[in-house]
Amino acid sequence: MQRVHSNGRPVRARLARLGTAATLALIAGTATAQEMTDVGTPRADTLIVDMLGARVSNPTNMNMYQQGVILGQGLHQLALSLLWDIDTAAGEQIPVLADAMPEPLNDDFTRFRVPLKQGITWSDGEDFTADDVIFTDQMIRNTPELAFSAAYTDVIASMTKVDEHTIEIETTRPTPRLSVVLGSVIYGNSFYVVPQHVWEGENAATFTNFPPVTISAYEYSEHDPNGSWFLWEKRDDWQNTDIGQMVGEPEPDYVLFRTYGTEERRVLAMANNEMDILTDISPQSLDILLNQNENVRAWFPDFPYANLDDPCERGMHFNTAVAPYDMWQTRWALALAIDIERASIATFDGMMRASPLGVPPTEVLQNTYHEPMTEWLTEFELEDGYKPFNPDFATEMAERLRSEGIDNIPEDPEAQRELFGVGWWKHDPAQAEKLLLDAGFTKDGDTWMTPDGTPWTITLFAPGGFEVQSERLAYAVANEWTQFGVPTQVQPMPAGAFFTAENAGSHEVGSYWAAACAIIPDVFVNLEGWHEDYIREIGVPASANRGRYANPELSALIDRLREVPPDHPEITELGTEILKVLVEGMPAINMFGTSKFVPVNETYWTNYPTAENYYEGPWWWWSNFKFITAQLEPATAAE
Amino acid sequence: MRLVNFIAGRIAVYVMVLAVGMTILFFVPRFAPTDPVDAMLAKIAVQSGYMDASQVDALRASLSDTFGLDGSLLEQYGAFLRRVFVEFDFGPSLSMYPTPVMELISNALPWTFGLLFSATIIAWVLGNFVGLLAGWKPNSNAGRAMEGLAICLYPIPYYIVALILSVLFSYVWAIFPLTTTIRGAPWSWDLVRSIVWNSFLPAMAIVITTFGWWIISVKAQTQALKEEEFVRYARLKGLSDARLLGRYILPNALLPQITFLALQIGLMFNGSLITEIIFDYPGLGLLIYKAVLQGDYNLLMGTISLSIVAVATATMIIDFLYPLIDPRIRHG
Repeated sequence: MQRVHSNGRPVRARLARLGTAATLALIAGTATAQEMTDVGTPRADTLIVDMLGARVSNPTNMNMYQQGVILGQGLHQLALSLLWDIDTAAGEQIPVLADAMPEPLNDDFTRFRVPLKQGITWSDGEDFTADDVIFTDQMIRNTPELAFSAAYTDVIASMTKVDEHTIEIETTRPTPRLSVVLGSVIYGNSFYVVPQHVWEGENAATFTNFPPVTISAYEYSEHDPNGSWFLWEKRDDWQNTDIGQMVGEPEPDYVLFRTYGTEERRVLAMANNEMDILTDISPQSLDILLNQNENVRAWFPDFPYANLDDPCERGMHFNTAVAPYDMWQTRWALALAIDIERASIATFDGMMRASPLGVPPTEVLQNTYHEPMTEWLTEFELEDGYKPFNPDFATEMAERLRSEGIDNIPEDPEAQRELFGVGWWKHDPAQAEKLLLDAGFTKDGDTWMTPDGTPWTITLFAPGGFEVQSERLAYAVANEWTQFGVPTQVQPMPAGAFFTAENAGSHEVGSYWAAACAIIPDVFVNLEGWHEDYIREIGVPASANRGRYANPELSALIDRLREVPPDHPEITELGTEILKVLVEGMPAINMFGTSKFVPVNETYWTNYPTAENYYEGPWWWWSNFKFITAQLEPATAAE
Repeated sequence: MRLVNFIAGRIAVYVMVLAVGMTILFFVPRFAPTDPVDAMLAKIAVQSGYMDASQVDALRASLSDTFGLDGSLLEQYGAFLRRVFVEFDFGPSLSMYPTPVMELISNALPWTFGLLFSATIIAWVLGNFVGLLAGWKPNSNAGRAMEGLAICLYPIPYYIVALILSVLFSYVWAIFPLTTTIRGAPWSWDLVRSIVWNSFLPAMAIVITTFGWWIISVKAQTQALKEEEFVRYARLKGLSDARLLGRYILPNALLPQITFLALQIGLMFNGSLITEIIFDYPGLGLLIYKAVLQGDYNLLMGTISLSIVAVATATMIIDFLYPLIDPRIRHG
């Protein structure tokens, strides 16, 4: 026995056995641990959602009317509701706390009747009535310290109670889109009805609203004092909520919003089945996830994997108050200097849908604007008769990607257009050069000189470390412009500095997007921002038209659009005219719809929205996320 | 009298360092391209819709007033010094308005301090112990192995070590959590266990990447001291190795290590930016990171002020303690 021990074999064998036992115990322990989440809820009953943004440093303040309060911990997506929200699949607003769309009471759209849903209760059991809405109106109106107060009172003159479940709203000016002013079209809206019985007697400017009394199907349960997770529990009386009435009982008993920090850790969490829904990751991370966990699903099962229907498209936005970007020739020359195929591949490996128009190429809007305008785009001429549009971009892109070994690229030209867009501007450096020379630019050897005789270089502002598509696109475009002969330097900036620069007009060109958002055919919501009313001098912040683009024809069309109700047949016609004027002037080079890589994990839950099951867009951070939650099914039930 | 002069001089330097530090701290963020009011306006515009020029101006004025950013730069500076030195108040966080900066700092500070203090002390004790032995017997196998380990670990970037630990112990063998999930009643063992469990990997990453430096530095000190005449004399007197190490080498080798340790503890108030970002650890580093990203002047000034005060105070305390530790300074 002693001799055997001396050569060490039994010791190693024993260690190996111990190691195996320990590993098995560990695996068993882990398996047991996976039955419950680390916040103590049954894993199979808990939906775990990636919290957009970092951990919340002030987790016990849930006053949605205070400027610095974070709502993305589930309060906005799950617990609160709006009068009207957005059906992203249909591209139309739907009544939620309201029982119908606003009914105009006069011809100039200044008085409306709004019925409210009956049978809705707050999470503490109190009824939701017109008194709550009227109280909220008064609270916002009488608390000027609230940031929303000024914008609200500028449009809403008064709210009056008709009966327990009907109110009348008067506006300060014709407002044919009242449901847009007080409801969500993109992401959400600031008008949250508050429970009068809770907020009455409180100062809305300082009240923390914690724990919150909620109105939708989930209520606050618990949170991490350090703000890394927030647990919401299904209400026992879920029938008495908007979701209960509109969809039915949500299956998840708990919804856990949590942050894991960096993208690497978020990806590990989903690979480990510790996360069911992820927001916005890079295509490279998605690739890793799909290889690591067979239950992870992307929006499309194959190329392009990403959802292409984000309501804000990406591109290069000029400050048109700054020379030489104040000339349309400069802006058009820079558009024609871009090889869109190369830019697409450099940004997201070609997984993008191009857009030559000022509204994103979502499924709804592509059918409303991009497709019908293709003929006009093809025939469109610059002043010298040059036709800049390339309607064959989709086919060419498909061929290029196929030649590079990408599988599952459609053969059918219609499918190709649906995937890659209706077309984009030609890559024509010669025409770009002609435009610049005609506008007074000169060339000194290889160096472009601006009309005032200084060497032309471009500083291109880009998001630094956030909004990855815009960041990468900036580098791709900088490369194109540098190759064309204009040295272009990308300046990545943190969020605060990036948006401050755009607001104050201290940019030359930026990889921005706010002026190119839309989701419903009534594109008024964001195109209105191009009106010259919003132009401010450089250095003074502007809330819209941050490119300082002054175009009287465009403003006149927007004025007309302001008067037309959203369901009027003239809406599309006016929208089309506005988009044509924007193409002609090119205040922004619109390039691609945003490709969102938003994977889900089907280990515990199924029936997520996907390209094949498109009942909602995958905007987990929007107010309408509650409608997605209510349609998920437990994976065990699906098997 | 010399002692009084010494103390007065050090206190004067201390006050000067604080004044210069705070002044730089006040002005530097104001020359940055981020305007917190404009950043807030952009955020409000996303949710509240477009505002005409007069509304934007009114809201801007109201936010500037609320955030204490109205008045000239000098007026703001005066108010800042008064608030910091008299009231020790940094006002509300601009990005998490109206939460007071001091509340955010006091929530984050225990996490950073607990993690970094314990990890730094562990690395210091471990590194000095191993370095001392390695320096005492430099040709032994154990000594060479220790030095080799230190040389291998020390240059590895912290980021890489942290990622490897995360992948190995939170994914491949999912023993430790991917993110901090602290649970347990206040002052309970459950809470302590939860904190230790959640802090283990970040602490391990800090220990692994820092203890190599302690080994290398104290080993070099020990080897040099071994050749000093007073040590050779003691050896010739026939003193034991343990006595030589404990009474002659250790006190002298540790002197510079204590200085560095004190500075490390002072720097701790910066938070460990990378540690806290990688492990999503809720400390001061993460707060500073947020403050920079969002142009939150008040939060930035609050967190960095703390660091300036801590480093200046630590340095002053070391200066006061040195004569007690080192008789050469006391009698010099």
